[in-house]
Amino acid sequence: MSTDKVEKNPEIIGFACLYCTFKASEMAGSLRLKYPEGIRLIQVPCSSRVDPAFVLKAIFEGADGVFVAGCHPGDCHFIKGNYFTRRKIAALKEMLDTFNMKEKIRLFWVSAAEARRFVDKVTTMYNEIKERKNVREKG
Amino acid sequence: MKTGIFICHCGHNIKHTVDVKKLSEFFKKYPGVSVSEDYVFVCSEPGQDLIKDKIIKEGLDRVIIASCAPSLHGEMFKDVLKKSNLNPFLLRRVSIREHCSWVGDDIDKNTEKAKRLILAGLYSAAHHVPLEEKVVDVKKSALIIGGGVSGLSAALFLSKMGMYVYLVEKDSKLGGHVRTLKNIWPSEKNGNDIVEEMVNELVERKNVEIFTSTKITNFEGFFGNYDVMLETPDGEKRITAGGAIIAIGFSPFNPLLKPELKYGEDERIITTLDFEQNIDKLHLSDKPRVAILHCIGSRDEQIGKPYCSRICCVNALKIGNAVKDRYKDSYVESFYMDVRTHPKGGEEYFEDTQEKGVLFTRANVAEINPSPTGIIIRGEDTLLGEIFEREFDLVVLSIGMSPPDDSKLIANLLKITLDKDKFFLEAHIKLRPFDTAVKGIFIAGSCSGPKDIEESINHGRASAVKLFGFLNLGYAYVDPFISYVDPKRCSGCRMCEQACIAKAIKYDEHNRIARVEEAACMGCGLCNATCPSSAISLKGYIDSMIDDEISALMEAI
Repeated sequence: MSTDKVEKNPEIIGFACLYCTFKASEMAGSLRLKYPEGIRLIQVPCSSRVDPAFVLKAIFEGADGVFVAGCHPGDCHFIKGNYFTRRKIAALKEMLDTFNMKEKIRLFWVSAAEARRFVDKVTTMYNEIKERKNVREKG
Repeated sequence: MKTGIFICHCGHNIKHTVDVKKLSEFFKKYPGVSVSEDYVFVCSEPGQDLIKDKIIKEGLDRVIIASCAPSLHGEMFKDVLKKSNLNPFLLRRVSIREHCSWVGDDIDKNTEKAKRLILAGLYSAAHHVPLEEKVVDVKKSALIIGGGVSGLSAALFLSKMGMYVYLVEKDSKLGGHVRTLKNIWPSEKNGNDIVEEMVNELVERKNVEIFTSTKITNFEGFFGNYDVMLETPDGEKRITAGGAIIAIGFSPFNPLLKPELKYGEDERIITTLDFEQNIDKLHLSDKPRVAILHCIGSRDEQIGKPYCSRICCVNALKIGNAVKDRYKDSYVESFYMDVRTHPKGGEEYFEDTQEKGVLFTRANVAEINPSPTGIIIRGEDTLLGEIFEREFDLVVLSIGMSPPDDSKLIANLLKITLDKDKFFLEAHIKLRPFDTAVKGIFIAGSCSGPKDIEESINHGRASAVKLFGFLNLGYAYVDPFISYVDPKRCSGCRMCEQACIAKAIKYDEHNRIARVEEAACMGCGLCNATCPSSAISLKGYIDSMIDDEISALMEAI
């Protein structure tokens, strides 16, 4: 039996705001930018629609990471929905920190024009989580 | 429940990296799925007929179309359902092109991802319920921001078509940059005359209100009824507009941002605009030596302006011609990267200019050093690969277009997006070049990227036509994605009332529950995420639907 374990690929669920991040992800596709297939998006009308319970649900279902992505502060289509998201996710991170799972969740802002930023953000997150996952499995 | 799944090949776009046959076979056996088909172009006429046919024959009550991004062909697929007597909100789009086949190369991995995405669609479609689109009245009036050529041409068109027009300009005069130009290529007309003609026509129209020296202080509401606050010299004014066109133009590049150009330090270093305005005041000898530097503030990564400004090459040619016309024995040299003369007749103009005796040198200019006798330019001739050093009496900087100073301000007020260069972002660069992501707000002219006068006028008119199409209907359908309260679950804690940004939730004192004012609800779903008893839900994005989507994306299949 080989001692090298098979490398495990993380599965990441992302909640993407319809007005910015989801549009950026569409543009990333049109530009044929590449990112890992483990990243899957759920479209929401505004990042403020994301109930922290969804994030927990995704983690319980086995997601290695969850991200919530919305418009830059001041750019929210619903005026200030993203400020609510920012608070909620900060509180959730604090709670998850107790279980040493803080790294599983991320919040970032991507505007509709920032396809490359979207790809950078999700790829970085994917790679970091992948590294951690494989170290843990080996150790 | 009878669900139909239609998987699009999109020619080779999806089929190339996703095994569509495998997918349609897999879902054929899936419980609750009556039809699972793959087709070469689902958006084509036969593709639409296939969907209609299956809905009617098989009695489908949910339709899943796995194809391009949901923002494309949305209305068209909704119509297909309507024509088949099915509520259009029973349609679920799954993006397996932009979010799967185009972003990954491995066919097995992509097929697996597409399978999960479609499964998530299938799970969520089970929660879709028939919804009725809200109809709202649309005010037949338009707000036009910016009174340059594109704004003026948009205003003229809309007012002629019978729409009420509010034209807002921050300067004291209409006309924008074109007014300051003395000679417009190729017509050789005075810019002032062109603008004056348009302004005179506009001021005579009864259905146009012009606000000069005016700023926009607030912009609220939705398509059909935008509520706008203006700060005019005579005080605040409130207007209601059905839609808006942003035509705030550009800012000329400020050469002070590149100190190595020595602009402002020596009066012999001027911009193309300075030259145009002061052509008669220049003190030059009979045999002046004039250098023209191209691409100042364009195609320059260092200052964050990697784009071509499109107008400056023709401007540079114009200057070369003007100098040659006035001083027959002058020495005029243009230092360029590439000469890009976009407009009609531009190439011929370039050739004529060369024949007149203007020299063109492909060069990287490294240093500009003023001296008592002249201005010394040092640089590299990039075709010969040699260093040169020459002295000139006048250096003209052919400056490009920068995004308008107010672009960030307007973008924030109207909640629309800027692109990476800080110009306004179009909804789709090829298919929807006039639209923004917000319905009823359009962009016109050089605020969406460098354009010449002709293009700006065309862009302004085109945006006006598009806006007219929306306004003239007099009504609009609005997505029915608004919140509703389950009175049995609501405990009356009033958390949603505090959270609601649109102030659409009112507390019903008598029944001690929350109520949603449908007309005011914006549909963000914040209340849904806030409610501790899951009593308030956002139609189209209910909790159980998103929960199931998460399960589907993570399920072992």
